[in-house]
Amino acid sequence: MPTTRFAPTSDLPSWAVVVACVLAAASFALLLVEMRRRERGGAVIVVTGIAAVASLLFAVLRPVRIAARESVVGARVVVLADASRSMALPGDGRGTRRDERDFAIATLQKSAPDARLLVLGFGDGAPKPLAPGSDGRAMRSDLTTAIRALAASPDERPAAVIVVSDGRLDDPPDGADDTVDSRASLAALGAEIHVPIHTVATTRTAPADASVRHVSASGAAVAHVPMSLRVEIGCGGGLACDELTVTARELRDDAPPALLASGLAHVKDGKATVDLTVTLERAGARILEVAIAPPSGDTIPENDHRFLTFNVARERVRVLHVAGMPTNDVRELRLWLKSDASLDIVAFFILRTETDKTDPHAANGQAPESELALIPFPVDELFSEHLPSFDAVVLQNIDAVQYKLDRHLGELASYVKGGGGLIMVGGENSFIRGGYAGTPLGNVLPVDLDGTPGATPDDATPFAPKWTAQGKAAPLLRPLRTVVGDELPLMPGTNVLGDVRPGGVALWTHPTRTTKSGAPMPVLAIGDEGDGRSIALAIDGLWQLKFSQLGARTAGRGHGALWDGLLGWLMRDPRFEPAQMEIVGGCTAGLPSTLRVQVLPGASDPIVVDVSQIDKTSGAPPLHLEAHRASPDDTTIDLALRALGPGGYTARLRVGDGSATRRDFACEAGGDEWADSRPDPEWLHALASATHGSFAYATDAASIPFPKPTVVSAERHVVPLAPPWMWSLVAAVLLGAHWFARRRSGLA
Amino acid sequence: MIGAALLAFAVPRPARAFGERSAFDPRVLLAGGTTGPAHLSAPSRWSRELQDRTSAPARLTPSSVHADEPAIVDAPFVYWSGDQAVSELTPGEVSGLRRFFGLGGMMLVDDANPGSSGAPSPFTRSVRNQLARVLPDATPIALGIKHVLYHSFYLLNRAEGRVLGPPEVDAIVRGGEAQVIFTQNDLGGALARGASGIWEAPVVPGDELQREHAIRLAVNIAMYVLCTNYKDDQVHAPFLMRRRAHASLPTEP
Repeated sequence: MPTTRFAPTSDLPSWAVVVACVLAAASFALLLVEMRRRERGGAVIVVTGIAAVASLLFAVLRPVRIAARESVVGARVVVLADASRSMALPGDGRGTRRDERDFAIATLQKSAPDARLLVLGFGDGAPKPLAPGSDGRAMRSDLTTAIRALAASPDERPAAVIVVSDGRLDDPPDGADDTVDSRASLAALGAEIHVPIHTVATTRTAPADASVRHVSASGAAVAHVPMSLRVEIGCGGGLACDELTVTARELRDDAPPALLASGLAHVKDGKATVDLTVTLERAGARILEVAIAPPSGDTIPENDHRFLTFNVARERVRVLHVAGMPTNDVRELRLWLKSDASLDIVAFFILRTETDKTDPHAANGQAPESELALIPFPVDELFSEHLPSFDAVVLQNIDAVQYKLDRHLGELASYVKGGGGLIMVGGENSFIRGGYAGTPLGNVLPVDLDGTPGATPDDATPFAPKWTAQGKAAPLLRPLRTVVGDELPLMPGTNVLGDVRPGGVALWTHPTRTTKSGAPMPVLAIGDEGDGRSIALAIDGLWQLKFSQLGARTAGRGHGALWDGLLGWLMRDPRFEPAQMEIVGGCTAGLPSTLRVQVLPGASDPIVVDVSQIDKTSGAPPLHLEAHRASPDDTTIDLALRALGPGGYTARLRVGDGSATRRDFACEAGGDEWADSRPDPEWLHALASATHGSFAYATDAASIPFPKPTVVSAERHVVPLAPPWMWSLVAAVLLGAHWFARRRSGLA
Repeated sequence: MIGAALLAFAVPRPARAFGERSAFDPRVLLAGGTTGPAHLSAPSRWSRELQDRTSAPARLTPSSVHADEPAIVDAPFVYWSGDQAVSELTPGEVSGLRRFFGLGGMMLVDDANPGSSGAPSPFTRSVRNQLARVLPDATPIALGIKHVLYHSFYLLNRAEGRVLGPPEVDAIVRGGEAQVIFTQNDLGGALARGASGIWEAPVVPGDELQREHAIRLAVNIAMYVLCTNYKDDQVHAPFLMRRRAHASLPTEP
């Protein structure tokens, strides 16, 4: 819109204009006072006086004409719309809160057509543009971060911010709007952006819902250490809640969930708190399901249970070391185990067999028990009652039949499948001769064992193990290779092992022996079995990594480096994993997600991932994903996961034909966003009050005031009305005329 | 509380290791002018006693090794016995023994000619002097009766050998382990036995019970070599303490 206006010359400061105008006005006033006393000739003096003062004023101001093309620009208003999962919860009417949110946004757009409305969705992190009708996917409602991002943005600062939400935000906590601190924090939130924050509440009423609102743990989860869980239960919307049963179960691979604890919640004023004590035996990512038995009439069954991922740490790795006889290999393994302060070792060595005569002079050949430092081997106690308390079990050259371990092999196999670690170390009483072939434990080893009568159990021919390609690439053997390179000491013999079982990987093989299939016989093999891992080591001469010419050259470091890798891999130490996995932004049931895989530099292709439900309750087949990298230098691969149902999942990854790794994760329908389904318009009202904004419900969103539009000039031309000398000349002439008129009338 | 006892075995099976390589080997150390063990049959008898009495496999034909040859580092144990003073170790021998101890190797120094009161012989004195050159940072100390050496297999109340000698053995302890054990009881003399089965040396001043105790000490030392401080583990400690306490009570008529 073109406009024209006049103004003093631009080189004149504002104060000079004011002074000139004041002096001119004073001159007029003096002139009028003087003329009142005159009886004749006053008109001429007045006219010439006014003209002279005016011309003098113009000579000072030197007015210019400004021609401009101007436009009215509506104020920039940012609408921060709640894009969290809670928008999918029921609203006041038949629709969802998302419908009410979109209605409020549409109302705002209609009520201020001139305003420049920028609709952004807030949830997790900085706000992003929000298309109308878009699903709320964020598993958080982080308004604070969104406002801080707006304040820090280099874009035009908004004239106002309008928050459209159900009020169930990440912070402040429930009930905090009554506190001084909360009001201060709300005001501080407004101060972040220096504009009023108006708020629009989508929803007024709470749905009929009982839910697990919050689960908090007392400190970090540590394996074998009891952990207290505080479970907060909510019940509202008119539901009749009195007592609710709360359970905590651990999802376990290929098995029904294990009940860890249960309790009764006594609901008062719509709330209840229950403390449950659970003990997680296995380290790593564990999935717990905390659930309530909901009352009838519950409209949101999805939040009756929560699936929570606990990253269980180890205070110390508890290792059970059982050896069938003391040898140099047992000695060195024990010394290494005992040298590591992070390991808690429980050891049982068989020191006497039935045929040994502890006192040859005695009639029965046996010394009295009081003269012996031998204790019974508590096989039943160890492998039933205490087995779950161990992170790893090392069976070294022990005969399962002779020492009655055979009756517990099923429990040991279940222990491995349930997440335990197992290493079977060679010796003449290991593997086939030890009675493990064809047993449940044999089925969780990474190699086949020939259980047929007459099968060759061992080969006492000395040999040097041979590295496989997978062994050379395996992260768990990297420390050893760093120390010894490809060289390995001569081993005095080997147990005879079969082919590597599906999922297993041979890291060392025998240089000459082959399996029935014709493949080189594995000597060291690793494998995942269920939730756990196992290692088959068919030799008893690893101590020579310390005591040998090779050991002397390497200061004996190879022995510790190997066992560090073996035990570390068994315990899923990230240093020895072939890859790391994470679900980007978490997994929301019913929505696609992204699995990010980070492999080691130089890893081989393909990257194969199988995602399956932990407890297999759905019966759904695993989701199979395969990726080939564009370049061997690529270490990060994003794999798209289709929508998964609520529950616990395991992603098993194999890099090339090497070792595998896994990652357990939970998918929740609503997570924290659905845990508390009550809207919180009071908090939105408090936020608006604290930041000098207005509050309205969605149905009354048009009442939100908008800032006035801004006038903006697009083009501007400045033209002097006359040149300065002209103004000076006219002023001089008119001053002269005024002087003449005054003289004529007798004035000085 | 405890399930199956160690003795309750269904099927007896021989305990073996692949080719004896990982078995206990009382390697005879040849150093400082010694050319063999003071009692020739002692090392093999030691192995025999260990194998007959325990589950531990042992080399019935023990090897020997010079301190200055590379093979000194090929196994974790050496047995150095003598009945006279040793000569000064050569630089090669000092270097070899340092490498051996550096890897965590253990040594038994057995005095074959102690005084009847157990006073160290010139052999022990000279060996201590020479080992002070090898391990200058360590000094022998007496291992009290509570040391695991006295309950690594048998419960022993003192050290005994062919000569009753001092009740305690001395040791150079490094990194918590007794790396060098000194006996002044002529352990090898108590073990030595000819092909005919006759003991080669009478025990002084006791009887065959003293010899049995000496053999038990030898078995305990071998078990200590193979199992280190296994019997000091928390799981064994209360059990063994009760057994010792019970054994010290007066015998009922």
